[in-house]
Amino acid sequence: MERRRWWIAPSILALALILSIAWGYREYQTRKQLQTTLENHYQRIFFDVKKHVENVQTNISKAMAANSSERNILLLSEIMNEAYFAQDKLAQMPIPQSDIANTQKFLNQAADYSYYLIQTHLEGVPLTKEQRGQLASLRDNSAKFNEELAKLQSDLADKNFTIGSMSNRQTARIEEGNENVFQTTLVNIDKNMADVPRLIYDGPFADEMINRKAVGLTGEKVSREEAERKVREFFGGNRVKRITAFEEGENIENVRIPSYTFSVQLDNASEDRATYIAVSRQGGHIVWMRNPRAINNEKLSIDQAQEKARRFLEEKGFDNMEVNYHQKYNGGILFNFALTEENVTIYPDLVKVKVALDNGEIIGFDATPYYTSHHERDIPKPKLSLQEARAKLRDDFEVNSERLAIIPKGKKEVLCYEFKGTHMNNEFIIYVNAENGREEDVLQLVIDENGTLTF
Amino acid sequence: MKLPQKRKKFLILTLAFTSAFLSILMFYEPSYYLSEADYNKALAPRVLYWGSQGQDVKNVQWQLVKWKYLVGKVDGIYGPETYRAVRRFQAKNGLKVDGIVGPETAAALGITLSEAAPASAQGLNRQSDEYLLARCIHGEARGEPYVGKVAVAAVILNRVRSPQFPNTIAGVIYQPLAFTAVADGQINLTPNKDAINAARDALNGWDPTYGALYYWNPATATSKWIWTRKVTLKIGKHWFGV
Repeated sequence: MERRRWWIAPSILALALILSIAWGYREYQTRKQLQTTLENHYQRIFFDVKKHVENVQTNISKAMAANSSERNILLLSEIMNEAYFAQDKLAQMPIPQSDIANTQKFLNQAADYSYYLIQTHLEGVPLTKEQRGQLASLRDNSAKFNEELAKLQSDLADKNFTIGSMSNRQTARIEEGNENVFQTTLVNIDKNMADVPRLIYDGPFADEMINRKAVGLTGEKVSREEAERKVREFFGGNRVKRITAFEEGENIENVRIPSYTFSVQLDNASEDRATYIAVSRQGGHIVWMRNPRAINNEKLSIDQAQEKARRFLEEKGFDNMEVNYHQKYNGGILFNFALTEENVTIYPDLVKVKVALDNGEIIGFDATPYYTSHHERDIPKPKLSLQEARAKLRDDFEVNSERLAIIPKGKKEVLCYEFKGTHMNNEFIIYVNAENGREEDVLQLVIDENGTLTF
Repeated sequence: MKLPQKRKKFLILTLAFTSAFLSILMFYEPSYYLSEADYNKALAPRVLYWGSQGQDVKNVQWQLVKWKYLVGKVDGIYGPETYRAVRRFQAKNGLKVDGIVGPETAAALGITLSEAAPASAQGLNRQSDEYLLARCIHGEARGEPYVGKVAVAAVILNRVRSPQFPNTIAGVIYQPLAFTAVADGQINLTPNKDAINAARDALNGWDPTYGALYYWNPATATSKWIWTRKVTLKIGKHWFGV
């Protein structure tokens, strides 16, 4: 019996070894398979980026050669598509964003600029000399980009390099002179893109739109002590138990609305839930406030809450504000108020107020859009009558309400007739330019028991 | 002869257990993906009751017919027969007998209820944006104060609007090497209520960062490059910058 026992332990170990080898092999196979799949995906993206950039280049050349605005519109929409595709795919490459930021910006702006030119074409305005110049510069830069990509492509074919291996290197920015051709090439492309002259146009990705400063702030610079006083005044009646300022960086003045930001302990709040508030450095206006406390039983009706919000705005000196939409969430209700002047709704001057549905307390306030855009306006008299504007709509668009409104269009604002109505069981708002009768915008509304969403 | 037989048995059993254990190791794949049901619970869930109509009611009826609680046709209308069948089902399964199909009864039936949406919506809603943002917030800023969570979501939304970044929320979140919580899979954890609230606040326009495009934790940031950004504000443990 003693003789029989010796092989038990070794045989268990042997079996375990065989099983773990099988397991390891299976893991290895899976890993290899995943790696190949990923590498194939990256290769596909890389070749696609190359193709899209090539198409951008040739289509710009074609657009410059073509004479009719019909052909140009088609070519420009093609450019827009291809540039967006290239940008979208480039952003999926395993490269730190900082290495391709300028390239992405170049592609996005090329697409955005094409869209802008399509609009001017449709308005019947021929291309100016500057615009042709900008197109030529876009073409030259995409040609340079394309050339670099072509070189990279042939380099990669020789070197047996896998793109997937780059993601292991994590976020460290690779220095120049590195033997990693792939990344150095892209970094170099990105450097060149940084020097591309900025495009002058009007669109959401234009530099002018991004660097826009707030125009609605009035008054002198205020100190932090002054700002703290404004906060106590805002909540009123000694409700502020404690007030702490957020730590600021050296570039705090570089943001759109430079502000002091505070965390506030209110008298009726639990200790772990602070209220946050921002006071603009210029003029000491309350820019936003948010009290994220929990709300359990909703007792107020929408109308009661709206009345609270309206009274609150009046108290804070916002006159002639009219409620437009509401959205119910997290036990509160958020109202969008827009300024009205001479019976015209001014959408850019927007203030949001959130009311708690348990006791009607104001738990949110945001005047960022208002202070960004508010200024003295000379509202023009509409050239079209309401009837004339209405005639521009589809016959089967059923209008429920109509009024005059100012809506933002790029960095400009346009006076429009606003028609709310239904078409094929869907709700829309259609804006017709009150000066020339153009359909400026169409918004689809989705209305449910919680409020309205626009798309 | 008794002892060796016992030993043999012991040997066989040991071998069987070892191989069973090892094969579990081999083929077990932990499921750390969140379920749709958890999310629906976190949001206001849809509830079916007498008078409800639609595909969800059909699904309920289908299960009840299959398990013989309901004799009748699957017509998608929550009428008296469906009501009685639901009550029978609830009584049999130890649920609260109220004749209402809420998340628990639905789970017991093995179905998930879709979110309430008006007929005109045609699938248009903000839910997927909200959910993805909430997951990213939960992965990236779980231990942060509420304002820090909204700030992280605001950075994502600011990136969507910036030409230097992808133009969709998913594009920004899943950009390679952009977020550590995406790289290590923490984004797939089920977001809590706070994360969902923060996502909604950010989508409704609150930006406590005043337009920041970057944030980093000075304690864990490995990239030197990030310090070349223009630093604007510190929220919780994160520095924000443009």
